Amino acid sequence: MDLVQLTRDLEDLRAEALGQVAVAPDSAALEELEIEVLGKKGRLTGVLRGIGALAAEDRPRVGAVANTVRQTIEAALRERGAALRNSELEARLRLERVDVTTPGRPVRRGSLHPSIEAMGDIARIFAQFGFVVHESPEVEDDRTNFQMLNIPPDHPARDLWDTLYVDVPGHLLRTHTSPGQIRVMQAMRPPIRALLPGRCFRYEAVDASHGFEFFQVEGLMVDEGTTLGDLKGLLDQFAHAMFGARKRTRFRPGYYPFTEPSVAFDVECLVCGGSGCPACGRSGWMTILGAGMVHPVVLQYGGLDPERYQGFAFGMGPERISMLKHGITDLRLFMENDLRFLEQFR
Amino acid sequence: MRVPLSWLREYVDVDLSPEALAERLTLLGMEVKSIERRGAEWQNVVVGELLSVDRHPRADRLSLTRVSVGGGEPLEVVCGATNIAAGQRVPVALPGAVLPGDRRIERTEKMGVVSNGMLCSGDELRLTGDADGILILPSDTPLGVPLGDLFGDVVLDVDVKPNRGDALSIVGLAREVAAVTEAVVRWPDAALTEAGPPTVDRLRVDIEDPSLCPRFVGRWVAGVRVGPSPDRVQMRLLAAGIRPISNVVDASNYVMMELGKPIHTFDAAAIHDGRIVVRLARPGERLTTLDHVERELHAETLLIADPAGPLAIAGVMGGAASEVSDATRDVVVESAIFDPISIRRTAFRYGLRSEASLRFEKGQEHRLARIGADRTAKLLADWAGGAVAPGALDTNPVDPEPGRVAFRPARVNLLLGTSLSAPEQRALLERVGMEIETAPPGDVAVQVSAGERPLTVVAAAAETLVAVVPTWRRDIAIEADIIEEVARVRGYELIPATLPSTPVPAFRSSPVELRDGVRGALVGAGLAEVVTHALVSPRHLERASWARPITAADGETAAAGTPISVTNPLSADHAILRQSLVADLLDVVSTNARRGRTDVAIFEVGRGYGRVGEATQEWWRLGIALWGAFEIPAWNRPVRDADLDDAKGVIELLARYLGLGAPTYTGIADEPILHPGRAAEAVARDDQGGTGLTGRLGELHPGLAEAWEIRGGSVVVAELSIRGLTTGALPIPRAVAPSRYPDVERDVAVVVDEARPSGDLAAVIRTRGGPLLQDVRLFDVYRGAPLADGARSLAFRLRFAAEDRTLAEAEIEAAMADVMNALQEAGGRIRG
Repeated sequence: MDLVQLTRDLEDLRAEALGQVAVAPDSAALEELEIEVLGKKGRLTGVLRGIGALAAEDRPRVGAVANTVRQTIEAALRERGAALRNSELEARLRLERVDVTTPGRPVRRGSLHPSIEAMGDIARIFAQFGFVVHESPEVEDDRTNFQMLNIPPDHPARDLWDTLYVDVPGHLLRTHTSPGQIRVMQAMRPPIRALLPGRCFRYEAVDASHGFEFFQVEGLMVDEGTTLGDLKGLLDQFAHAMFGARKRTRFRPGYYPFTEPSVAFDVECLVCGGSGCPACGRSGWMTILGAGMVHPVVLQYGGLDPERYQGFAFGMGPERISMLKHGITDLRLFMENDLRFLEQFR
Repeated sequence: MRVPLSWLREYVDVDLSPEALAERLTLLGMEVKSIERRGAEWQNVVVGELLSVDRHPRADRLSLTRVSVGGGEPLEVVCGATNIAAGQRVPVALPGAVLPGDRRIERTEKMGVVSNGMLCSGDELRLTGDADGILILPSDTPLGVPLGDLFGDVVLDVDVKPNRGDALSIVGLAREVAAVTEAVVRWPDAALTEAGPPTVDRLRVDIEDPSLCPRFVGRWVAGVRVGPSPDRVQMRLLAAGIRPISNVVDASNYVMMELGKPIHTFDAAAIHDGRIVVRLARPGERLTTLDHVERELHAETLLIADPAGPLAIAGVMGGAASEVSDATRDVVVESAIFDPISIRRTAFRYGLRSEASLRFEKGQEHRLARIGADRTAKLLADWAGGAVAPGALDTNPVDPEPGRVAFRPARVNLLLGTSLSAPEQRALLERVGMEIETAPPGDVAVQVSAGERPLTVVAAAAETLVAVVPTWRRDIAIEADIIEEVARVRGYELIPATLPSTPVPAFRSSPVELRDGVRGALVGAGLAEVVTHALVSPRHLERASWARPITAADGETAAAGTPISVTNPLSADHAILRQSLVADLLDVVSTNARRGRTDVAIFEVGRGYGRVGEATQEWWRLGIALWGAFEIPAWNRPVRDADLDDAKGVIELLARYLGLGAPTYTGIADEPILHPGRAAEAVARDDQGGTGLTGRLGELHPGLAEAWEIRGGSVVVAELSIRGLTTGALPIPRAVAPSRYPDVERDVAVVVDEARPSGDLAAVIRTRGGPLLQDVRLFDVYRGAPLADGARSLAFRLRFAAEDRTLAEAEIEAAMADVMNALQEAGGRIRG
């Protein structure tokens, strides 16, 4: 083996390899080619095996040629490799195309019941004014539900609450959350700011605005010097928070045996804005709650001295609030539990 | 109460429009529910005069009339009534007219003659009760004028609150109007012309218990002719919602509406010896009441009787035998006052609540007994031609002193948040008929509270005024009542709106915090919250009650006691308080399935109820039900029905959310409402070993699903007790920095008998895995070759870690060796 022959072999290898690189069909083939030509046991190594037979002074010259050949081939491989990867990537992207207009894989989310949510909304608003949630029994004793709220037996005011009685002596299903007032006063000292949400029951035929089971939210605030004006101001804040800051409100006399003075609280009709429509009985107003200053007898039953302490209570139906807010016209929907209705309350 | 404005105006001048009046009354606490315009529905009905009434040429029973309606040619109108004569003025519905009930009148041919309209009866116009004849109008009624202009009225429907019996009358509401407008109230005329022998010679009354009948006034009206009332009276009563019956009955109803005083009239001939006894019923007594029902009388029933027996149930309903009829000659007028509670109980007992009993049970002003008797007698004389016997029989003619209620003007302002001077307060109170006196010198007792818990406080005379309360205001007894009157008459709209400036109470955590958190977590997991009835049917309870109650989590109330029944249920479907949520949830599944839903995933946080001795108990539980597709059906994944593992997944999510360890499940086969092979008790504990969550879950027994008509797929239900559901706050999780050293995972597969619960083996691994073992997770279950029949391989992945170092291979090998030994000891075969 002489220098000339070896140099020619290297040149041949280069030419042949470059030709093969140029026609390599894909990156896999190119990788194989690289190993075949430049790998440890590749053709270049094979050619250079002859270098041992050369004269010592020729060896560096062959080495230089071999290096050039290697570099040339490597460059060609890189270039060809890049081109191939590019076109392969393009091919893959073309292949991976999907119909992006199809709907996604749906993720399930449940819904919160509007009665409970309305109670939560009410509680959140009053929490800003220091009112904390309390709860009391639904199977209530007759005295707490009526007498202690200044509703003696056989009093005509009992007509306001058609009652479901139970087979436990002296007990009934609470007709309102108001007995909670007594329980809160008995349990804690003023200052009291309590909110009492919960289920109530009445002997009442079911129609679009009545049910025998429904929820109420009662509020109670008692301290020295709490006034009817405070009640009015607070209810205004509530109405604005619940229905919108610009809604007009109306504070007028009402009647409850357990408050004196008693109040009915209206907000301008959310349907007609106050001009009068069938939804508001053409009055322009919708009554959203009843309220009043806690009757002295009730304070006494709560264990408080009515000369020292005074305060107010209010009560509202969360379903009614929810109906007004969401434009629902039938109370029965709340307990029917048709998922098509419930799922609208996310 | 329905208030015709024409009637109201008789007692008070009203310059306001009906709408403005309604608003003022509403703002005074007399809420006007609606404003009805009577006569607005009459279109094209005018006053006409009959020029001639002749027989119809081809029909004996019809008349052919010529009617003038003012201008234009007279009209020919065919009429079937027999009470008409030339010269009368009558309502004429012209062609194109519309009558109540949307009845349209057109020009029609009747037996060969064209009729240009119709003459109207009072009933056709809903103006009087008379349907037999044409309504004959007064002869001075202006011709051609639309009837609505003359006889139309505006009726306010006023919601009079139960404490204001005094306002359940036209006069009472006139007083309220006067309080607003400061006009003067005119009282109805009760001046009488009397004739014949005096009443006391004809009538005697004995009252056995004056506490049940504090006053009885009787009057005798002789020689009445019973017949229809004057048209104007009928119009009024109809407008007020009362059906006219006869002049005698109408007179008593008229006085009840006018004065709020219920009156009863008897046929005097039916009263034995003219002797009336007011007494309680005796055992075995019976009475046939006006509605022709024979009633056995309860001993608490107050009666109007005579020596021969009961005549009427006092204040509630008259007796048929003493009813005024066409044959009645002399009438006895009863105007009495009865004990309100007695009347109320009696009315409820017989299911006979009426306009009269409603007024009695609210209490009656003492002096009204006499005024009502006189007024009725006068109306009988005017309308039925009776002769009123001189004087009245009166058991208690002395009117009581008016009540006096002391009040402190400063206290009025303190409660209302106002700053009204004493003279201003006085002026306001005078508008509702109060007289204000200065307090007598010395200390004054101010009534702060009355009834069962009376409370008076002593105040200095200089700081106190005394209100003399009008006798009709039976609702005013304490200082707070006076305060309300000040606010009411002045107008609540003038109360200044302030925000509370008193101290804020100390912090207290909300009892619904944890409940709300759980609800939010479940909604995030795709479940819809439902609210179902607490009152269920006994059948529900029978079918879907737990054999054993769900164990309560720590601090929660146990489900204990017998079911509580409603003694006066609205229906059998809602007669008993639930003890479990399952049946209600099945109802919801069933309802939605029937309506075409194929996927139901719901929960409810609700109470159960039980009776323990004389006490009651209520407990909070979470109920879950899954049925049908667990994920929203979509084109890009297969539909998968919810199964037991989905319920477990939800429970495990809750356990994680509540900071509890993974729940452990124990199979149960003795719960009849669940599939015996697919039911479990679940328990999750905190790291102190406390029970944070307990409950039962499983596939509904197929028989029960059938009973609820839930078909296709199984229903999975769970009921859980969760610590804190009643009053709890959410736990605050402790956060741990992740170890900086790598975890090491090792798998082990163990072959066991099919019946061997995987939970047992997981527990074995946990206990024997050593301190480095962090987590054990079942990741594969294999059955089939080469395993024997009835065997399965459970593959667990164990995760080891230490906080302070990279684990050495030897440590892990040692731990794994322990685990494998333990599994073999437990009867498993390690699969290589």
